[in-house]
Formats: sequence, structure tokens, C-alpha cells
Amino acid sequence: MSSAAELAWLIPVLPLAGAALVGLGLISFNRTINRLRKPVALLLISLVGASAVISFVILGQQLAGAPATEVLFNWASTGDFNLQMGYRVDALGAVMLALVTTIALLVMVYSDGYMAHDKSYVRFFTYLALFSSSMLGLVLSPNLLEIYVFWELVGMCSYLLVGFWYDREGAANAAQKAFIVNRVGDFGLLLGILGLFWATGSFGFEEIGARLGEGLASGTITHAAAVILCLLVFMGPMAKSAQFPLHVWLPDAMEGPTPISALIHAATMVAAGVFLVARLQPIYLQFPDVQTVIAVVGTITCFLGATIALTQQDLKKGLAYSTVSQLGYMVLAMGCGAPIAGMFHLVTHAFFKAMLFLGSGSVIHAMEEVVGHEPVLAQDMRLMGGLRKHMPITAITFLIGCVAISGIPPLAGFWSKDEILGVAFASFPLLWVVGFLTAGMTAFYMFRLYFLTFEGTFRGNDYAMRQQLLAAAGKGGVSMEGDEDHGHHASHPHESGWQMASPLVVLAVPSVLIGLLGTPWNSRFAALLDPREAAEAAEHFSWGEFLPLAGASVAISLTGITVAVLAYALHRLDLATLVAARFPAVNAFLAHKWYLDDLNERLFVRGTRKLARQVLEVDAKVVDGVVNLTGLLTLGSGEGLKYFETGRAQFYALIVFGGVIALVVLFSAFG
Amino acid sequence: MLLDFAVTTASGTALPWLSISILFPIAAALAIPFIPDAGDGKTIRWYALGVALITFLVTVAAYLDGYDPSVEGLQLIERVEWLPDLGLAWSVGADGLSMPLILLTSFITALAVLAAWPVTFKPRLFFFLILAMDGGQIAVFAVQDMLLFFLAWELELLPVYLLLAIWGAKKRQYAATKFILYTAGGSVFILLAALAMGFQGGGAPSFEYTVLAAKNFGSGFQLLAYAGLLIAFGVKLPIVPLHTWLPDAHGEATAPVHMLLAGILLKMGGYALLRFNVQLLPEAHAQLAPLLVVLGVVNIIYAALTSFAQRNLKRKIAYSSISHMGFVLIGIGSFSALGTSGAMLQMVSHGLIGASLFFLVGATYDRTHTLQLDEMGGVGQKMRKMFALWTICSLASLALPGMSGFVSELMVFVGFATSEAYTLSFRIVMSVLAAIGVILTPIYLLSMLREIFFGKENPDLAGHTHLVDAEPREIYIISCLLVPIVGIGLYPRLVTDSYRASIEALVAREDLAFNKVIGPTPTGLIRKGLGATALLPPAMLRAPALA
Repeated sequence: MSSAAELAWLIPVLPLAGAALVGLGLISFNRTINRLRKPVALLLISLVGASAVISFVILGQQLAGAPATEVLFNWASTGDFNLQMGYRVDALGAVMLALVTTIALLVMVYSDGYMAHDKSYVRFFTYLALFSSSMLGLVLSPNLLEIYVFWELVGMCSYLLVGFWYDREGAANAAQKAFIVNRVGDFGLLLGILGLFWATGSFGFEEIGARLGEGLASGTITHAAAVILCLLVFMGPMAKSAQFPLHVWLPDAMEGPTPISALIHAATMVAAGVFLVARLQPIYLQFPDVQTVIAVVGTITCFLGATIALTQQDLKKGLAYSTVSQLGYMVLAMGCGAPIAGMFHLVTHAFFKAMLFLGSGSVIHAMEEVVGHEPVLAQDMRLMGGLRKHMPITAITFLIGCVAISGIPPLAGFWSKDEILGVAFASFPLLWVVGFLTAGMTAFYMFRLYFLTFEGTFRGNDYAMRQQLLAAAGKGGVSMEGDEDHGHHASHPHESGWQMASPLVVLAVPSVLIGLLGTPWNSRFAALLDPREAAEAAEHFSWGEFLPLAGASVAISLTGITVAVLAYALHRLDLATLVAARFPAVNAFLAHKWYLDDLNERLFVRGTRKLARQVLEVDAKVVDGVVNLTGLLTLGSGEGLKYFETGRAQFYALIVFGGVIALVVLFSAFG
Repeated sequence: MLLDFAVTTASGTALPWLSISILFPIAAALAIPFIPDAGDGKTIRWYALGVALITFLVTVAAYLDGYDPSVEGLQLIERVEWLPDLGLAWSVGADGLSMPLILLTSFITALAVLAAWPVTFKPRLFFFLILAMDGGQIAVFAVQDMLLFFLAWELELLPVYLLLAIWGAKKRQYAATKFILYTAGGSVFILLAALAMGFQGGGAPSFEYTVLAAKNFGSGFQLLAYAGLLIAFGVKLPIVPLHTWLPDAHGEATAPVHMLLAGILLKMGGYALLRFNVQLLPEAHAQLAPLLVVLGVVNIIYAALTSFAQRNLKRKIAYSSISHMGFVLIGIGSFSALGTSGAMLQMVSHGLIGASLFFLVGATYDRTHTLQLDEMGGVGQKMRKMFALWTICSLASLALPGMSGFVSELMVFVGFATSEAYTLSFRIVMSVLAAIGVILTPIYLLSMLREIFFGKENPDLAGHTHLVDAEPREIYIISCLLVPIVGIGLYPRLVTDSYRASIEALVAREDLAFNKVIGPTPTGLIRKGLGATALLPPAMLRAPALA
């Protein structure tokens, strides 16, 4: 085998073939296939596993210095116009391939445990394989157009998976919201791609960059136009990577099953936006103003996510806002012109956030034994507490995740986040301040999650609290009666089975160690993506620059952790009276998620509905009204159209038809 | 003026395939009254299915045997003198504009017959009309004589009228009358234009496309004829504000008739616009094309909003059809091979997707007995396969990549955005507005899915109806439609290559007319000259290819 890159097309095709096969089976032989749970899961897991093997071989070859490969074919053509598709394997892609296949594989194993009791187990695995396929296709895409294709496909998979439990009202709304908000981003992306194609005649990343530069130099395209196009394209990543103000869909998307939140909404799909920005660096680097916008958007997102995460009571929502915040860091890095730092954070974050989400899934799964299948109860931290004693593996891995994300050396998050803060300090000191403060908040809210969930005493049997939560969610009473009817709920949660626990343990390894691949004095990661820049960075590295910044980061993280420990572990600080009571406006602002959801609902959702109703009214009353009126007038009959309903209309067509024949005869007589 | 119909002979083919595909279903329909049947229509429907399938195979044979996709001109020519005094001849043939639509027609009709399996009310008449329509519609696409075209166009009105008026829902009389008044009113313009064009220039009248295309019409005459034809075809397509017959007709029709209306009838409008307005009146087209683009954008946004507000499922999908047809208009007005090709593909694609959605509406109505979205909800609990089929078809309709709608809309977008015939500002404004459709389409389609299938089961509905899941026949029909939808989505050249040569010739003709009428210098806000290199977008200065 000369090069595994030649087999790269198999990577997305294998899971796709599996998904297609099982999907067809589900439609044709629903019952039989639904009974074949384990065989189907085994088939799909091994197909994704095969993709993972190829991906790792490719990554190995890239590490050994294999050149980038690109294979293309004509997909659609008219005139001298060819739209090409194909695949491209390079270092950046290889990293993503390995990342996506690893996490997809672990999530699939985990799902076998998590979804064991779900009647749609097979459908879930089919969607998972379909998603993996689309995501891998996106990573392999050689040009913007193909990226757009897979961009939409991962969006569709996200829609299907968020709405997986379609009998839940919340899931239905969240799925729709996710798709439509992403379509708003795609609107910009599509226009941007079209515009860039108009300006450069190409969909290829480097080519667009080069030709745009030429065009600017020769004056065929104005600077302003180019900037607008770049910003339009950036709308796509803004929606997909949940950047302010298009982040609103991501927290709602937590309605989906938790393995999905780990795979799609933490590790892979939401990172696609960041990945695209990294791919587009040849273009963006030419426009400092675009870079500034990207950096600012990233910083706002990063700050917003962290502040909202401070007050969340829902375990998954807390993690979701944390994801929003971390994605903001990655985008900030891109805006600072440091794609390697951003990509590195993407990789480290993917591992520890996937682990955290899977851990939260393990918790929810255990909580469901106690409080029943009601997300309002099973995910609320006010009913948790003390879980460490019952589920030690989950607790320890979750704690590792918290330390990693808080940026404590030598765990993964420290290296990547510190690198981003470093480049931000160099390019935008003001943004660095915000990012720096956010790091403190991150440490605080993560340890808050940990303490509320795993330490203290178990509060799951607090029936008054349950009632209160249900009432707040507008589901008062219903589920409680169910509880009494069934009565078989456990009194305390249990550790999850091996399918769920082992992925947590596996993910803990990279969460601890992977950061060491990206140490600033000898970054293997940077050497893979851009050897020249890595060598340069290593040469210019000085402890004198590194230590003060790193020390400050660690210090603020430790501060955050200390506050969390004081408030939630030792109960020395009562934040409710100290902060929340003193600044009710701030508290309400954060609890209402900066009022962005309300704004969205009032302005866009109701606005569109109203506009649509008005248009329909015009259509029915004005446009159709004129038609009916004309009908009335031309018939010259008081009874209008009813006249025709008595049966004469049948003759109308005959009259026209006869008229034609008559005309023909007439003309032939005189012609 | 170039005569761009390269005349080929029919000598290569074994049989007059096109004439057979038109006359066979009509003849077979005439035999229906003599078929012994117990009165429940069981024999009749098998007979009709057989006839429709044979017709489909005949059109496939025509494609395989006598059609060469690389030839730009007319092929499969069959010509018999009919009324020589009038220059009227039975003249059929196919080029890239006709062939895909002929295949689409026979394909959709065969599926519509299968979809009509549960029809038990007057089955003889029903299947008679469906088969007669099959032949009539193929004739619309295949005839090469404008008077014949008019006759075929009118002939197809009668079956539709009767199918609406007899098998429709409550307001069927109103809807059928509205349909016939609208369409017949529009076709008066076709007749007038045909006669005027046929007699123009003196000499023996002739209505053959080849002869008409060679004529050099004056520019005032062209504009007049163009406007008349635009109204006629605009009713059919439909173009807002000539569309109000469609929601009524669709709202009342039964599922198979629906499939035919959405799958084929609307395409007659698009086909005729390309055939007559663009091909025969290119100079008027060069002047009026911006109007088409604007109307297309209006169609997309206006109908998408109306669809969103609709509470009736059938009418919702009907408006979504109107919205999708907007892309056909933009493509036709784009003055680019890619855009025009996209318009063609959008017609084929919408024919397939529209038919599948309307079939699903019918199948759902059979179970829920209501079309009001407010009375549904949670249907997905019991009808899981139906839910899956609905989801796939809705995603196809909202132009998900991997399915045909995405490719055709993308081609229209790219074609129009890179078109050299319009100024940059006009293209920007129109593209941005059209792209709003990209946001609006999922809004109404996904809301619709949510209201029908998601959430808790609606107790009223579940209590009073028997919600059985999709049966094999229904799954089969949708699968048949999905195969080409996905096939085109994965590899669009399957279809585009079959008409590429014709479209390129058509656009070359457009460009000639454009340079003659508009001239190479820019004239105002919307138009700009072709061929003035200084004004070309930078991309066109280089070879437009990828990577």
C-alpha cells in the first residue's frame, strides 16, 4: 500500500453504506430490523471502527511527512463550467479525521449502554452512523462547495438527532430551532461562497485566497466588497459553532439524547465552524478588519457563554454554555491569526468536553432510576449531590474534565487555552483581558457543577423540590402520580455499566496527556500542521514571556476554583445573598440568558408569523378577491361563479376547443 | 438569424416511438369502456397500470433508441402532412428541452395510476381520463407545431377539469371552474400568438417551430407576443399573481390528480416559456428577462410566506410548489447556460419531489381524515414509517444536499450570480432576496412536520381515526420517486447531460439576441453588456474551472 490517502474516500463511505443499509431495512422490514439490536450496533460500530483505522493510518503517514493529496472529478458541468467534487487529505484533515472517528467510536460504544432501554435503539445507531459519515465527508472536502454540501448534511443529522425523542414537545422545538438558526448562517455562507466564486472563479481555499489577493492588487475587486464576502462566509461558522448572536440553538439542542450532545454538540459538529475558519485562513489573513471582527465575536461568545453558565441549574445546559464559551476561545484564536492554537484547543476540548458530556449522561442515566424519565428532574442539579459515593468512575473522570477545562497544568486544557490567551495578548490586549476573566469564570462554574452534582448529600428524594421543579416547567403533578403508580424507582443511583464507563476512562487519558503534544517550546501539534511556523515559534520561545502569562492564567483559575470550593463544598460563602440578592438585575440578566431567547421569540418568530399571516390575508382577500370579482363581472350574472357551477363550465373547454377547429377551417378556407 | 434546428432523420429508430407514446395511451383509454369489470374497478386499474407502464417503457425506448444527448437539435422526428393548405402537419420530435419532461411525464403518470389504487368511485372514467392525460401531456412536450401544441394544451384541460370536478373534495366545482377559466383564459393568448406568428411575414402559413424560429419578427411584434405568452404560461407555472387557481385546485384534488398537477402540469408552463418565449422570441426575451427574474424572486418569497401561514396541509404544499417554481423563472431569465440548465433540472426535480409530497398528503389524509394542522399532532407515534417518508421528502423539498432540489437551486444561484447580462447590484439584490427563500423554506416545512408528527398524540385524532402505518404500495411509490431524487442529487449529470447541448445552443441564441437588442454597452441599473471585457467579473477573465 503506497498511501492510505488513496483509500480516504472509504472513510465517509463505510458508515454511510451501513446507515443506508440499516435505514432501508428499517423502512422495509421494520420489526425484524428493530429486533436485531446487537448485530446492527456491531455492524455500524465496526464500520466506523474501520474508518477509524484508515484515519489513524493516514494520520501516521502525515506525521511521517506524507504530502497532501487531492482527488477530484467533474460533478456537474455546463458549457465551460465545471463543478468539481472529490476529497483532500492533508495534516489538518488528518487530525480531524482521527479525532472524529475516535469520538464517534467511543460514543457509539457508550450509546449501547445509554440507549439500551430505548425502543428506537436501531434508529439511533443509524443516525449516528449517518452523522459520522457526513462529518467525515466535511473534513475531507477539498473546496467550499463540498463543505457546504456536508455542512447541510451534518445540520440535518443534528436535526434528526435533537428531535430523536419526537414525542417530547421540547425536542421538537429545539430540533426545528437548531435547523433554522443554522439556515440563517447558511444563508450568509451560501451568498459568500457565490460571491467569492464570482470574484475568483474558484471554490478552492488557497486559490480563492491567491486570486482575491491578485484581484485586490489589480483593482478588479474593491476591498470593501471582499470584506463583505468574507464576513458573509463567516456567518456559516457563526451559526454552526454557536457564536453570538447565533448561539441560541445550542443550549436548546440539549433536548437530544446525551451521547449526541457529546458527539455533535461538543466535540465534532460545532467544531466544524472553527475548522472551516481554519481552512479559510489563506483568505482571512489578508483582511485584518475581518480578523478583528472574528476575534471580537469570539470574545463576546466566550464571555457570554461563561456568564450564563454561572447560573444554570440544569447539568447539561451548564455544559452546553461552557461549550459555547470554549468555542468562543477557538474563534478568538482564529481571529488572532493563530489557527494552530485554535485547532489545538479544538482537539483538547473535544476530548475533555466529550468526556464531561458522557459523564453527565452517566449521571442522568443513573438519576432516571431514581426520579423517572423526566428530563426536568433527571438533569437538575438541585436534585443531585453526593453522587461520588454511588458512581465513583463517573465522578473521577468528571473531576479530571473539570481540572482540564479550568486550565490547570499539566492537563490538556491548560496548554491549549494558554496558547490562545498568549496570542490574544500579543494581538488584542483588550480581548485578552476578557478571555482572562472568562478563564476564572470557567474554573468557577465547572467546579460548581462538580460539587453540586457529586459532593454533599443526595437530594434526589426531595419530593417537595421535585414538585416545585415540575411546576416551574409547567408539568405539575403529572409525573408524580406516575411515580406512585410504578413505585419501582431506586432510592439512590448506581454506577453505569461497562459500555458507558469505559469510554469515560478512555477519554480521560487524552484529557490528561494530549496537552503535552502542544507545549510551546516543542509543539508536535504545530509541527504537524505547519512545520516552519512551529520551528520559528520554538526558536523564539522564552520562559520569561511564557511564565508570567501562564502564571496569571493558573492563578485566576485557582481563584475561580477556590470560590467554588468555598461556596459549594465548604459552604463558607453564600453567593445567593452575597451576589444574587445585591445585584438582582445582573442575576436576572444572566438567568434569562441575556434575554436573547426572548428577543428572538418576540422579534423573529412572532414577526415572521405575523408577516406570513398578513401575506396570506392579502393573497386570499386581494389577489384572489380580484380574480373572483373579475369572474363575477365578466360573466355579467348576479350569481357569478355559481352560474358556472350549475354545469355549464363543462362546455367551456369544448367551446374553446371547437373554436380552434373553426378558426383552423376558416383560415384554411381563406388562406 | 441562424436556423438552429439541425434536422435529423428518423431513420435511426426502429419505430415512431414518440407518436406511439402519445397515441397508445389515448387509444388504450378509448378501449376502457369495453373491458369487462365487476364494477369495483379492480380489472380496470390493472389494465391502466399496464398501459401506463408500457407508455413509460416506450418513452424510455425512445430515449435509448433514437435520442443522442450530444446533439443539440431536434431528434426522433416524425412528420406526416395533415392539412397541407394550412401547413398543418403531425409533427413530433424531441430535443433537450422535451426529452427529460417526456420521460418525467410517463414516469409520474405510471406512479399516479398506482397511487390511484384506492379509487372506487367511477373507476372507468377515472382511469380513462388519467390515460388520456398521459398521451395529451406527452404530446404537449413532443409536438413541433404551435397549433398542435395549442390543441394538446387545450386537450389536457378537459381531463383535469373533470378529475377535479368529479373526484374533488367539497369545493370541487368552484375549484374546477376556477381552474378552467384561468387556464382557458390564458390559452386564448397562445392561440392569438400562434396565429399571429404563423401568418406573420406573409406566404403560406406555417406553425412549425423550425419555420417560426427562422422568421425574423419585428421587435414590437416580439414584445407583444412575448407578453401574451407570458400571461398564458404564467398561469400554468404559476407566476404570482396569476396563481390563485392552484391552491384551490390542489386543495380539492385527490392524491393521484395532485401528483399529476404538481409533477407535470406546472412543468408545461416552464417548458413552454423556454420553447416559445426564449427560443422563438429571443429579442423580446433579452428585453424582458429581468422581469422574469423579479417575478421569480417574488414567487419564492411571497409563496413561502403564504405557505407558512397556511393551516391546511394541501394548500401549504401547493404554495410551496409555487415558491419552488420561482427558481425556474430566475434560471430562465439568467442568460447563462448553468442557470438555464438549473431551471430545467428544477422542473424535473420539483416534478419528482412535488409528486412525492402530494402523494404523502393524500396518504395521510386517508388516515387522519383531516387536512387541518390544528387537528393533527403526535401522529408520528403510530405512523413511524410515514413519518420517515415525510421527513425524507420534506428534506428533499428544502433542498438538502444529496438530493435533486439542492443541485438545481444551486445551479440557478451560481448561474445567475455569475451571469454577465446583469449589473452587479441587480444580481446582488436578487440573489440576496432569493437566498431568503433558503431560510423560509425550512421554516414552513419543518413547522409542518412538527405540527403533524411531533409531540404528544392528539387524543381527539387518535380516538376517532385508525392510524395505520404506511403500506408497501405507498412505500414503493415513494421509493420509486426517491431513487431519481437521490440519484440526481449525487450525480446531477445523469440528467443534465441529456439536455446540455440543447441548452447551450439556446443560450447561444439568447446571447446573440442580447447583443443585438441591448448592445455591448451598459444601459442603466439592471442590464449590462455582454462581451465587454472591462465589465466582466474578474472570474471570467480566467478560465472558470476549479482547483
